[in-house]
Amino acid sequence: MLLVNYPSTDTFTRLGEEFKAAFMKDFRSYIRYPAWLVGDLVSTPLWFFFFAVGVTLFAPTTQTSIYHGYSFFFFGFIFIVLFSTTIWGTGQSVRNEQTAGTLEQFFLAPANRLTLILGRWARIFITDLLVIGYTTVLLYLFGGGPLFLYEPALFTFTLALFEIGSIGFGLLFAGLTMKLKSYNTLSNLVFFGYMILTGTLFPVTVIPMPFRYVSLAIPFTYFIDLMRHAALLTPTILPESLEYASAVLLAFVMLLVGFVTFNWIEQDARVRGSIATS
Amino acid sequence: MGRFIGGGNAALNFATRTGTSNVLVYEMLGGAVWMTGWVVVEDVGVALRDEQMKGTLEQNFLAPVNRFTLLVGISLTDIAITTAIFLIVVGATLAFTMPGAYLAFFQAFLILLIGLVPLFGIGFLFSGFVIKFKEPYVFTQMVNLIFGTLTGTYYPVTILPYWAQFLSGVLPQTYVISNMRQIILANQTLVSLYGSIFILLALALVYPTIGYVVFKKLEKDASVTGELSKY
Repeated sequence: MLLVNYPSTDTFTRLGEEFKAAFMKDFRSYIRYPAWLVGDLVSTPLWFFFFAVGVTLFAPTTQTSIYHGYSFFFFGFIFIVLFSTTIWGTGQSVRNEQTAGTLEQFFLAPANRLTLILGRWARIFITDLLVIGYTTVLLYLFGGGPLFLYEPALFTFTLALFEIGSIGFGLLFAGLTMKLKSYNTLSNLVFFGYMILTGTLFPVTVIPMPFRYVSLAIPFTYFIDLMRHAALLTPTILPESLEYASAVLLAFVMLLVGFVTFNWIEQDARVRGSIATS
Repeated sequence: MGRFIGGGNAALNFATRTGTSNVLVYEMLGGAVWMTGWVVVEDVGVALRDEQMKGTLEQNFLAPVNRFTLLVGISLTDIAITTAIFLIVVGATLAFTMPGAYLAFFQAFLILLIGLVPLFGIGFLFSGFVIKFKEPYVFTQMVNLIFGTLTGTYYPVTILPYWAQFLSGVLPQTYVISNMRQIILANQTLVSLYGSIFILLALALVYPTIGYVVFKKLEKDASVTGELSKY
């Protein structure tokens, strides 16, 4: 067992050790069940191929169009996998401890809550990156051609914004599930809402007008739009520079809102004595 | 999604690759066969797991009942319900979109029934794996996804790479889906498709035989090592 309560007065060192301990805790739980690893590595890419090959039936018959079709769909798959990290990583971390009856011990530990939650997020994020990389190779072997990525630097930048925003959202979600308890219903609603409304698998411009307003009010829509723009040079919703500025602002606002809300809900739960109720 | 990727020619592109412009029926037939197959493989495979979890597996195995009938019997209700749902959903869709295709639908349904037999064989294999490895759900999901991808659930298998087409050729659902589409959408008959029906019948013999032999082997090993009582 790693020493969580690190005897250093250096805040960064202490947080680093806490994060490492939280990461190792989740990693050990994960590898305890090899079926989970097999499921992640095999089932997740298969879901992608299962639908992607079908969609390319509609693409023009030229090889480049087919490759573009796969790339477009593959980025949709990446956006979905990344968001699942938010929901089932950050968001579920608190709920898992709650249903296991270990949340109080978790909160009594002399460690920062957020590093403990981020430890789980990091483990799932690394697993997801592994699945994405592995699926890219499979896509090539499966005849889907190379993955198009025209602006790698911009893509990485917008991916970082996406992750900052999604950690904020994950904290908000973790707080909400701690309060509302009904995790599965909430996570399914949010996940499918995200898939449909933020344009993961199609541009938001094809969403009918009254619903498109909802899409445009969701920050993830802009992160996704910019990542797809960087990868495939698709047109952006807003003028490019304005959309980048908005995305930076939204990412940090989401992180702040998530952090503040989570702390507020936790304090409220302590006062009401509802932390232990599952 | 298809319309976004294919633009105004999306339907034409689809028809060029599949030979039909009836997207709804084409996709629905594949999806319905896949879902039915999923239920058969999972139910036969997981039925023993339920007994294992309830602690009644040993009593079941001690009963003077043939394992074959036990495996088929405990999963039959779900399979009958799923097949009935297939009949109602596909039948109703065809009634609205292709009225008059009753004879074709009847033939297609017969192919589905033949195609269920080899799936029972795959289910037997899973029953054996449950006894040995205990946790079946990850494996059944994985295998059913492999089936969905390789058997042309939402596309013709001819667009897959050659190595994948080779694997498709040994899976019963490939023939079920392809034959059903041929009969309903391309006016073929059971007689004109006798070649692939013959292959399907052969698979209906091979899979249950292999599945049952493997199951019996794993069951015997488990009874020697005491694995039966563990869950």
